[in-house]
Amino acid sequence: MNGLVKSALATNTPAQAKAEPVDWAGKNYLVVDDFIGVRQLLRESLRSLGAKNIDQAASGGEAIGLLAKIRYDVVLCDFNLGDGKNGQQVLEEARVRNLLLPSSVWMMVSAEKSVESVMGAAEHQPDAYLVKPITEGVLLTRLNRAWHRKQVFRPIDQAFAEKDYLRAARLCDEQIEASRVHEVELLRMKARLMEKSGEPEKAREAYERVLAQREYQWARAGLAKIRLANGEFEQARQMFQGVIAENRYYIDAYDQLALAYQGMGKFEEACSILERAAKLSPNSVPRQRSLGQICLKLGNIGMAEKAFRKCIAVGEYSVRRTPDAYLGLARVCGLKNDPKEAQALLAAAQREFSEAHPDMDLRAKITEGLVYHESGDYRRARKAGDELEALLDAREERPDTATCLEMATLLFAVGVKEAPSELLCYVARNNHDNPVLLDEVQAIFDKARLADEGGDLIRASKKEAADLMNQGVLLWKTGKLQEAVDWMREARAKLPNNQRILFNAAQVLISHMREQGHDEALALEAHAVLTHVDRLQPGQQRFAQLMEQLAALAPKEAAEPPAAVDTTA
Amino acid sequence: MRPVDDTAHSQDLLLFLASTAHDMKNSISVLSGTLEGLLVKAGPQADAAYPQMAQMLYQTRRLNDNLMQLLALYKRVGTPEYPFDVQAIEAGQLLDQVVALGRVLLDAKGIVLEVEADRDLIWHLDEDLIVGVVSHAVNNAMHYTRDRIRLSLREADGLLEIRVEDNGAGYPQPLLAAGAAGLHGAASGIDFRTNSAGLGLYFSREVARMHRHRGREGGVRLENGGAFGGGCFILSLP
Repeated sequence: MNGLVKSALATNTPAQAKAEPVDWAGKNYLVVDDFIGVRQLLRESLRSLGAKNIDQAASGGEAIGLLAKIRYDVVLCDFNLGDGKNGQQVLEEARVRNLLLPSSVWMMVSAEKSVESVMGAAEHQPDAYLVKPITEGVLLTRLNRAWHRKQVFRPIDQAFAEKDYLRAARLCDEQIEASRVHEVELLRMKARLMEKSGEPEKAREAYERVLAQREYQWARAGLAKIRLANGEFEQARQMFQGVIAENRYYIDAYDQLALAYQGMGKFEEACSILERAAKLSPNSVPRQRSLGQICLKLGNIGMAEKAFRKCIAVGEYSVRRTPDAYLGLARVCGLKNDPKEAQALLAAAQREFSEAHPDMDLRAKITEGLVYHESGDYRRARKAGDELEALLDAREERPDTATCLEMATLLFAVGVKEAPSELLCYVARNNHDNPVLLDEVQAIFDKARLADEGGDLIRASKKEAADLMNQGVLLWKTGKLQEAVDWMREARAKLPNNQRILFNAAQVLISHMREQGHDEALALEAHAVLTHVDRLQPGQQRFAQLMEQLAALAPKEAAEPPAAVDTTA
Repeated sequence: MRPVDDTAHSQDLLLFLASTAHDMKNSISVLSGTLEGLLVKAGPQADAAYPQMAQMLYQTRRLNDNLMQLLALYKRVGTPEYPFDVQAIEAGQLLDQVVALGRVLLDAKGIVLEVEADRDLIWHLDEDLIVGVVSHAVNNAMHYTRDRIRLSLREADGLLEIRVEDNGAGYPQPLLAAGAAGLHGAASGIDFRTNSAGLGLYFSREVARMHRHRGREGGVRLENGGAFGGGCFILSLP
C-alpha cells in the first residue's frame, strides 16, 4: 500500500476485528478449478491472507483423491469442472464419505450466479456460493462469515448428527437470542428439526416467524410442505405454484408440486411438472428417477426411457446413483419387446449395486418376472417366480415393505401361492396397527382370488403381533423391567420391522436405565433400535421424544456421540 | 437474447456463447488481478507508467462490470427467471466488500474514500447483486470526482439507503434526465441508442426493483449536490 488513502478509510480494515479474528494463515486449503489461471489467482489471494498450505486440483477426480488423504479446513471448488464430476458431486461425495472435518468450510465457486444456490432442497449445501471474479476483499469477508456461522451452528449440527432433534431445536432458540444476523437461518434449521420430530405445528410457527420478516420462498414452500404432509393437496398445490411464480428456479417446489398432484391422483399433471423441472435442472438423480417412474405408470414409454437413461448417465459420477433407474429401464425394454436388453440391464444392476443393496438379487428377479409377464412370456415369468421363491427360502431376512408387496403381487400373478402369502403375513405382522397398509395387503389377496383366506391370515398376523406387544407392556407396567426388556428383545427378533414394538422396546430400555442407572450396552441397544425405526419411517414424534430421553440419561463426560456421524439423515 | 426455438443447433450455440462469456470473465479477472498486483508493487514514485497502469485497471474494471451486467441481464435479472438470492447481511460486511474492490484503484488515482455507516444494521438483500451495483457506482464516481468520494449507508423511513457522493462537477444532464424518467415509471428511462452510460443505470434499477417487501420496491436515483456538491447516486432498498 502506498498510503495515499489515509484516515478517511477508518472502516477499511474489515469487520473481523469485531468477532474474534480467525487465523487464516495456519489453515489447509484446497483449490479446485479446471482453469490454471484461476487456480493461480485464487492461490495468490489466499497467500495474501497469509495462507501457506494450498493444494490444487484440476478435476473432480483429482480433488477427491486429495480429500481422501488430507483434511482441509477450506475448500474453494468451482462448480463447473469440465468432464467428469462437477463441484456439487465432489461435495456430495466428500460429505457422504466423511472426507471433511465438521469445521471444514466449503465455498462453491461459479462463473455466474448459480441456479443451484436458490434451488431449495439440495441435500448437501456448501457453506457459501461465490461468483467469479473472486477478489481478496470478497473472499475474506465470505470466509470469515462462513467460519463464524460454523461456530454458531456447531453445537446444533452436533445434536443433529446425534439425532437428538429436540435438543438441537432448543439450541437454535438459544442462538437466536445471541446472534441476530443468523436468526432467519436458525429458524429455518429449527423448522427442519421440528419436521423431523413429528411436530409440524412448531415447524409452521418457525416458518411464520421468518415470513413475518421477509417473504422467503423456502419458508413459503415449508408451509406448503406441511400442508402436503397433512393431505391438504389443493392448498399445497396453490402455495407451491405461488413459489414458482416468484422464482422460476426454486426447483424443490416443482418436485413437491408433483407430489401434490400425485396425492390428488392427477398423474398427468405431476408428470408434466417433473418434466419442466427436469428441463431446468436435468442433473438430479432422484428427479429423473421420479420422472421415469411416473412416465412408466402413465404408459409413456418413450419419455420413461429418456428419463431412466438420463438418470443412469447423471448417476455415473454421483454417490446418489440408484438401481431404480436400471430396473425401470429394464421394464421399459420389456414393454418395447426387447427382453435381451432388459436382461443385460438387470445383470448390470446386480453387478453395480449388490454390495450396497443386499436385496438387489430379489429386486432384479422381480423385475425379470414382470418383464416376461408384461411381454406375455408366461412360461419364463413363472420360471422367474420359482427362482424368486428359492431365493427367499435361502434367507432369513425379508426386504422392505414396498419390495415385499411388489414381490407378492408378482408371485401371485405368475401362479406361485405359498411364498406370497407368507410374505404378506410378514408385512401384516410388522405393520399390525397400520390400517392403510393392511388394506393394501388385503387388496393383493383379493386380486389373487384369496379374499377370505387372506382376511383370516391378516387377522391372525395382527393378533400375533398385538399379543407379543401387550405381554411386554404388561411386564413393564407391573414393574418387571428386566423381564420386559428380555421379552421385547424376543419380540423384536420375531418382528424386526414393527414400529410399535420397536418404540416400546426402546421405551422399556430407557425405563430400565432410569430405574437401574445408565448402562452402556443398553444405551447402545436403544440407540440402534431407534435409529432403525427412524430409517423405516422418518419424522415421527415418538422417535424425537425417546432420542431426547435417551440422550438425557447419558452420563455427562460420556456425552460424545456414537462414532458414526451421519449428517445426511 | 432468448432462444427463439429449441432446436439442437440453437441450444449448442447458446452453450457455446455462455462458455465463451465465462472464459472472457476468467480472462478479465486474471487481467485485473495481475494489474492490481503490479500497482501495489510499483507505487507512484517508482514507476513512470504508474498513471497509465491505473487507467488500465480502471478500464479493465469497466469491462468487467459491463460483462457482469450483460451476463446478469442475459440471465434476466429483474424477472422471476433470475436466481435471486436474498439473505440477511450485515451492513458493515457489505461495505467492506465494496471498499476492498475499489481499494487499489482508489489508491492509485489518489482518491480518498470516506465511509460512514451503521455497521451493525442487518438487511435482507441479494449480496452479490448489491455489491456489484454499489461498487460499480463507486467506479463511476471515480470518473466524475475531483479527489473525494463518500460512501454512506443508513436506514431511513424503513428503507436501506446507500449513497455514493463525489466532489466533481456533477452528472451530465442526459444522465440525470434518464435517472429522473426511470423514477416516474417511463419504461427504463434510458435510450439505449444514444446513452452508452445507461447500461449501468438500467442494471442498477433492475436489481433494485427485484428487492420487494410489504408492497414497496427498491429504486435508484441520481442527483447533483449531496454532501460534496458533486454527483450523487442513491440506492434505496425496502
